[in-house]
Amino acid sequence: MVREQDQYMPIANVIRIMRRILPPHAKISDDAKETVQECVSEYISFITGEANERCQREQRKTVTAEDVLWAMSKLGFDNYIEPLSLFLSKYREAEGTERSSSLFAKCERGDGGMVEYAPVLGHYGPPGFGLAAQQPGMYKAGAMSGYYIGGAGGSGNEGGGAGSSSASQQRQGQSAMGGGFDPFAQFK
Amino acid sequence: MRQAGKYSGFMMCGGIAGRTGPHSLPLARIKKIMKKSGEDVKMISGEAPIVFSKACELFIEELTRRSWATTLQGKRRTLHKDDVASAIVATDIFDFLVSMVSETASHSEDGTVPEEEETVGSS
Repeated sequence: MVREQDQYMPIANVIRIMRRILPPHAKISDDAKETVQECVSEYISFITGEANERCQREQRKTVTAEDVLWAMSKLGFDNYIEPLSLFLSKYREAEGTERSSSLFAKCERGDGGMVEYAPVLGHYGPPGFGLAAQQPGMYKAGAMSGYYIGGAGGSGNEGGGAGSSSASQQRQGQSAMGGGFDPFAQFK
Repeated sequence: MRQAGKYSGFMMCGGIAGRTGPHSLPLARIKKIMKKSGEDVKMISGEAPIVFSKACELFIEELTRRSWATTLQGKRRTLHKDDVASAIVATDIFDFLVSMVSETASHSEDGTVPEEEETVGSS
Protein backbone atom coordinates (compact mmCIF):
# COMPACT_ATOMS: atom_id res chain seq x y z
CA MET A 1 0.00 0.00 0.00
CA VAL A 2 1.44 3.31 -1.02
CA ARG A 3 1.17 6.00 1.63
CA GLU A 4 1.67 9.59 0.76
CA GLN A 5 4.42 10.48 3.14
CA ASP A 6 4.09 14.23 3.04
CA GLN A 7 0.90 14.13 5.09
CA TYR A 8 2.75 12.53 7.98
CA MET A 9 5.69 13.24 10.23
CA PRO A 10 8.77 11.41 8.96
CA ILE A 11 8.69 7.91 10.33
CA ALA A 12 12.30 8.04 11.47
CA ASN A 13 11.47 10.93 13.77
CA VAL A 14 8.39 9.16 15.10
CA ILE A 15 10.39 6.01 15.85
CA ARG A 16 13.12 7.98 17.55
CA ILE A 17 10.63 9.58 19.92
CA MET A 18 8.94 6.24 20.63
CA ARG A 19 12.31 4.74 21.47
CA ARG A 20 12.85 7.31 24.22
CA ILE A 21 9.98 5.70 26.10
CA LEU A 22 10.58 2.05 25.35
CA PRO A 23 13.15 -0.19 27.00
CA PRO A 24 16.11 -1.06 24.80
CA HIS A 25 14.94 -4.61 24.09
CA ALA A 26 11.50 -3.55 22.88
CA LYS A 27 10.54 -4.08 19.27
CA ILE A 28 8.00 -2.08 17.33
CA SER A 29 6.00 -3.63 14.53
CA ASP A 30 5.78 -1.78 11.25
CA ASP A 31 2.04 -1.35 11.51
CA ALA A 32 2.38 0.14 14.98
CA LYS A 33 4.87 2.69 13.65
CA GLU A 34 2.54 3.63 10.83
CA THR A 35 -0.42 3.87 13.15
CA VAL A 36 1.41 6.22 15.50
CA GLN A 37 2.53 8.24 12.49
CA GLU A 38 -1.09 8.58 11.35
CA CYS A 39 -2.25 9.46 14.85
CA VAL A 40 0.19 12.35 15.02
CA SER A 41 -1.23 13.89 11.87
CA GLU A 42 -4.72 13.35 13.17
CA TYR A 43 -3.71 15.04 16.41
CA ILE A 44 -2.40 18.09 14.59
CA SER A 45 -5.58 18.35 12.49
CA PHE A 46 -7.81 17.87 15.50
CA ILE A 47 -6.18 20.60 17.56
CA THR A 48 -5.81 22.97 14.61
CA GLY A 49 -9.48 22.59 13.75
CA GLU A 50 -10.49 23.70 17.22
CA ALA A 51 -7.93 26.53 17.28
CA ASN A 52 -9.08 27.75 13.90
CA GLU A 53 -12.72 27.78 14.97
CA ARG A 54 -11.81 30.01 17.86
CA CYS A 55 -10.00 32.37 15.48
CA GLN A 56 -13.01 32.58 13.25
CA ARG A 57 -15.34 33.27 16.16
CA GLU A 58 -13.06 36.08 17.22
CA GLN A 59 -12.69 37.22 13.63
CA ARG A 60 -8.96 36.76 13.51
CA LYS A 61 -7.15 35.44 10.48
CA THR A 62 -4.05 33.98 12.03
CA VAL A 63 -3.88 30.86 14.15
CA THR A 64 -1.40 31.70 16.88
CA ALA A 65 0.55 29.65 19.38
CA GLU A 66 -1.89 30.79 22.04
CA ASP A 67 -4.81 29.48 20.01
CA VAL A 68 -3.08 26.12 19.74
CA LEU A 69 -2.47 25.99 23.49
CA TRP A 70 -6.03 27.01 24.21
CA ALA A 71 -7.38 24.29 21.91
CA MET A 72 -5.19 21.66 23.55
CA SER A 73 -6.46 22.61 26.95
CA LYS A 74 -10.05 22.58 25.76
CA LEU A 75 -9.66 19.16 24.17
CA GLY A 76 -8.24 17.58 27.29
CA PHE A 77 -4.49 17.89 26.83
CA ASP A 78 -4.03 20.06 29.90
CA ASN A 79 -0.93 18.14 30.96
CA TYR A 80 0.84 19.46 27.92
CA ILE A 81 0.17 23.12 28.60
CA GLU A 82 2.85 23.64 31.20
CA PRO A 83 5.76 22.06 29.33
CA LEU A 84 4.62 23.70 26.11
CA SER A 85 4.33 27.14 27.65
CA LEU A 86 7.81 26.76 29.07
CA PHE A 87 9.10 25.63 25.71
CA LEU A 88 7.45 28.56 23.98
CA SER A 89 8.78 31.13 26.41
CA LYS A 90 12.31 29.77 26.04
CA TYR A 91 11.94 29.92 22.30
CA ARG A 92 10.70 33.51 22.44
CA GLU A 93 13.53 34.47 24.71
CA ALA A 94 16.01 32.93 22.33
CA GLU A 95 14.43 34.66 19.35
CA GLY A 96 14.68 37.97 21.14
CA THR A 97 18.40 37.66 21.72
CA GLU A 98 18.94 36.52 18.17
CA ARG A 99 17.19 39.45 16.59
CA SER A 100 19.33 41.89 18.48
CA SER A 101 22.34 40.25 16.96
CA SER A 102 22.22 40.19 13.19
CA LEU A 103 24.70 37.37 13.23
CA PHE A 104 21.93 34.82 13.11
CA ALA A 105 19.58 36.48 10.70
CA LYS A 106 18.15 34.56 7.73
CA CYS A 107 20.75 31.86 7.58
CA GLU A 108 20.37 28.91 5.29
CA ARG A 109 23.17 26.86 6.78
CA GLY A 110 24.22 26.74 10.35
CA ASP A 111 27.71 25.87 11.19
CA GLY A 112 28.50 27.84 14.30
CA GLY A 113 31.86 28.83 12.98
CA MET A 114 30.81 32.26 11.86
CA VAL A 115 31.66 34.04 15.03
CA GLU A 116 34.96 35.32 13.84
CA TYR A 117 33.40 37.37 11.06
CA ALA A 118 31.78 40.71 11.47
CA PRO A 119 28.04 40.57 10.87
CA VAL A 120 28.13 43.27 8.27
CA LEU A 121 25.57 42.10 5.79
CA GLY A 122 23.25 40.05 7.92
CA HIS A 123 24.42 36.82 6.38
CA TYR A 124 27.44 34.87 7.22
CA GLY A 125 29.31 31.87 6.13
CA PRO A 126 33.02 31.56 6.39
CA PRO A 127 34.50 30.48 3.11
CA GLY A 128 36.48 27.83 4.90
CA PHE A 129 33.64 25.33 4.87
CA GLY A 130 32.83 22.86 2.18
CA LEU A 131 29.35 24.23 1.65
CA ALA A 132 30.62 27.60 0.51
CA ALA A 133 31.58 26.24 -2.87
CA GLN A 134 27.95 25.57 -3.67
CA GLN A 135 26.97 29.18 -3.53
CA PRO A 136 29.73 31.31 -4.86
CA GLY A 137 27.15 33.99 -5.51
CA MET A 138 27.07 34.76 -1.83
CA TYR A 139 30.59 36.00 -1.94
CA LYS A 140 30.43 38.56 -4.66
CA ALA A 141 33.48 40.69 -4.74
CA GLY A 142 31.72 43.73 -3.42
CA ALA A 143 30.41 41.79 -0.49
CA MET A 144 33.84 41.00 0.76
CA SER A 145 34.70 44.52 1.56
CA GLY A 146 33.08 44.46 4.93
CA TYR A 147 34.72 41.33 6.20
CA TYR A 148 37.89 41.19 8.09
CA ILE A 149 39.55 38.02 7.15
CA GLY A 150 43.17 37.30 8.14
CA GLY A 151 45.08 37.93 4.94
CA ALA A 152 42.78 40.54 3.43
CA GLY A 153 45.42 43.11 4.08
CA GLY A 154 47.56 41.35 1.58
CA SER A 155 49.56 39.23 3.93
CA GLY A 156 52.01 36.71 2.73
CA ASN A 157 49.83 33.64 2.62
CA GLU A 158 48.95 34.27 -1.00
CA GLY A 159 52.58 34.36 -1.86
CA GLY A 160 52.72 37.84 -3.19
CA GLY A 161 50.19 40.28 -1.96
CA ALA A 162 48.89 43.28 -3.78
CA GLY A 163 50.70 44.42 -6.80
CA SER A 164 52.48 41.21 -7.49
CA SER A 165 52.08 40.42 -11.12
CA SER A 166 52.26 36.69 -10.66
CA ALA A 167 49.50 36.88 -8.08
CA SER A 168 47.25 38.86 -10.38
CA GLN A 169 47.80 36.41 -13.19
CA GLN A 170 46.52 33.68 -10.98
CA ARG A 171 43.58 35.78 -10.04
CA GLN A 172 42.02 36.00 -13.46
CA GLY A 173 38.40 36.95 -13.12
CA GLN A 174 38.89 37.87 -9.53
CA SER A 175 40.43 41.24 -9.99
CA ALA A 176 37.88 42.82 -7.75
CA MET A 177 39.27 40.87 -4.86
CA GLY A 178 42.43 42.86 -4.81
CA GLY A 179 45.20 42.07 -2.44
CA GLY A 180 45.52 38.60 -3.90
CA PHE A 181 43.05 37.30 -1.36
CA ASP A 182 40.93 34.48 -2.65
CA PRO A 183 38.66 32.76 -0.21
CA PHE A 184 37.93 30.05 -2.74
CA ALA A 185 41.52 29.13 -3.35
CA GLN A 186 41.13 25.90 -1.50
CA PHE A 187 38.26 24.86 -3.73
CA LYS A 188 40.14 25.24 -6.99
CA MET B 1 25.49 16.15 0.07
CA ARG B 2 25.23 18.38 3.07
CA GLN B 3 27.99 18.17 5.53
CA ALA B 4 26.48 17.06 8.81
CA GLY B 5 27.45 19.51 11.45
CA LYS B 6 26.49 20.53 14.91
CA TYR B 7 23.32 22.06 13.64
CA SER B 8 22.26 19.48 11.11
CA GLY B 9 18.58 18.86 11.10
CA PHE B 10 15.52 20.54 9.86
CA MET B 11 16.46 23.96 11.07
CA MET B 12 19.79 25.04 9.88
CA CYS B 13 19.68 28.37 11.62
CA GLY B 14 22.25 28.06 14.34
CA GLY B 15 20.11 29.80 16.90
CA ILE B 16 16.85 27.95 16.54
CA ALA B 17 18.33 24.49 16.23
CA GLY B 18 20.12 25.10 19.48
CA ARG B 19 16.80 25.80 21.17
CA THR B 20 14.49 23.19 19.76
CA GLY B 21 17.27 20.67 19.50
CA PRO B 22 18.37 18.74 16.46
CA HIS B 23 15.99 15.99 15.28
CA SER B 24 12.91 18.04 16.09
CA LEU B 25 9.92 17.46 13.88
CA PRO B 26 9.93 19.31 10.55
CA LEU B 27 8.04 22.58 10.79
CA ALA B 28 7.12 22.80 7.12
CA ARG B 29 5.44 19.41 7.32
CA ILE B 30 3.55 20.41 10.45
CA LYS B 31 2.38 23.56 8.74
CA LYS B 32 1.21 21.56 5.73
CA ILE B 33 -0.84 19.26 7.92
CA MET B 34 -2.31 22.23 9.80
CA LYS B 35 -3.40 23.79 6.52
CA LYS B 36 -5.01 20.58 5.39
CA SER B 37 -7.07 20.35 8.57
CA GLY B 38 -9.71 22.64 7.11
CA GLU B 39 -10.57 24.63 4.00
CA ASP B 40 -10.70 27.78 6.01
CA VAL B 41 -7.34 27.65 7.76
CA LYS B 42 -5.84 30.81 6.42
CA MET B 43 -2.77 32.04 8.17
CA ILE B 44 -0.61 30.34 10.69
CA SER B 45 1.77 32.23 12.93
CA GLY B 46 5.40 31.18 12.88
CA GLU B 47 5.20 29.99 16.45
CA ALA B 48 2.25 27.65 16.06
CA PRO B 49 4.21 24.86 14.27
CA ILE B 50 6.94 25.25 16.86
CA VAL B 51 4.48 24.60 19.66
CA PHE B 52 3.21 21.60 17.71
CA SER B 53 6.69 20.20 17.21
CA LYS B 54 6.99 19.86 20.95
CA ALA B 55 3.35 18.87 21.48
CA CYS B 56 3.68 16.03 18.98
CA GLU B 57 6.69 14.73 20.87
CA LEU B 58 4.64 14.72 24.07
CA PHE B 59 1.78 13.06 22.23
CA ILE B 60 3.93 10.32 20.74
CA GLU B 61 5.53 9.72 24.13
CA GLU B 62 2.17 9.40 25.86
CA LEU B 63 0.69 7.16 23.19
CA THR B 64 3.78 4.96 23.25
CA ARG B 65 3.77 4.72 27.03
CA ARG B 66 0.16 3.64 27.13
CA SER B 67 0.55 1.25 24.22
CA TRP B 68 3.57 -0.40 25.77
CA ALA B 69 1.59 -0.98 28.99
CA THR B 70 -0.78 -3.14 26.93
CA THR B 71 2.16 -4.96 25.35
CA LEU B 72 3.50 -5.79 28.80
CA GLN B 73 0.11 -7.04 29.95
CA GLY B 74 0.23 -9.51 27.09
CA LYS B 75 3.78 -10.47 28.17
CA ARG B 76 5.15 -9.50 24.81
CA ARG B 77 8.16 -7.48 23.72
CA THR B 78 6.84 -6.24 20.42
CA LEU B 79 4.55 -3.25 20.33
CA HIS B 80 1.81 -4.00 17.81
CA LYS B 81 -0.90 -1.91 16.25
CA ASP B 82 -3.43 -3.61 18.53
CA ASP B 83 -1.59 -2.25 21.54
CA VAL B 84 -1.89 1.23 20.12
CA ALA B 85 -5.58 0.61 19.48
CA SER B 86 -6.09 -0.55 23.08
CA ALA B 87 -4.37 2.55 24.40
CA ILE B 88 -6.58 4.75 22.27
CA VAL B 89 -9.77 3.04 23.38
CA ALA B 90 -8.74 3.21 27.04
CA THR B 91 -7.90 6.92 27.00
CA ASP B 92 -10.68 9.51 26.88
CA ILE B 93 -8.65 12.25 25.28
CA PHE B 94 -7.70 9.87 22.48
CA ASP B 95 -11.33 9.42 21.49
CA PHE B 96 -10.73 11.37 18.30
CA LEU B 97 -8.44 8.54 17.18
CA VAL B 98 -10.91 5.71 17.65
CA SER B 99 -12.07 5.74 14.04
CA MET B 100 -8.50 5.31 12.87
CA VAL B 101 -7.96 2.02 14.62
CA SER B 102 -11.38 0.44 14.43
CA GLU B 103 -11.45 0.06 10.64
CA THR B 104 -9.02 -2.81 10.30
CA ALA B 105 -9.59 -6.27 11.67
CA SER B 106 -7.52 -7.42 14.58
CA HIS B 107 -3.93 -7.99 13.59
CA SER B 108 -3.09 -11.62 13.95
CA GLU B 109 0.33 -12.65 15.06
CA ASP B 110 1.87 -14.89 12.48
CA GLY B 111 4.93 -15.46 14.54
CA THR B 112 7.27 -13.41 12.41
CA VAL B 113 8.28 -9.95 13.44
CA PRO B 114 9.49 -7.76 10.63
CA GLU B 115 12.99 -6.49 11.24
CA GLU B 116 12.73 -2.94 12.43
CA GLU B 117 14.25 -0.62 9.92
CA GLU B 118 15.74 2.69 10.93
CA THR B 119 15.22 4.94 7.95
CA VAL B 120 18.00 7.42 7.56
CA GLY B 121 17.50 11.13 7.63
CA SER B 122 14.58 13.32 8.38
CA SER B 123 13.24 16.06 6.18
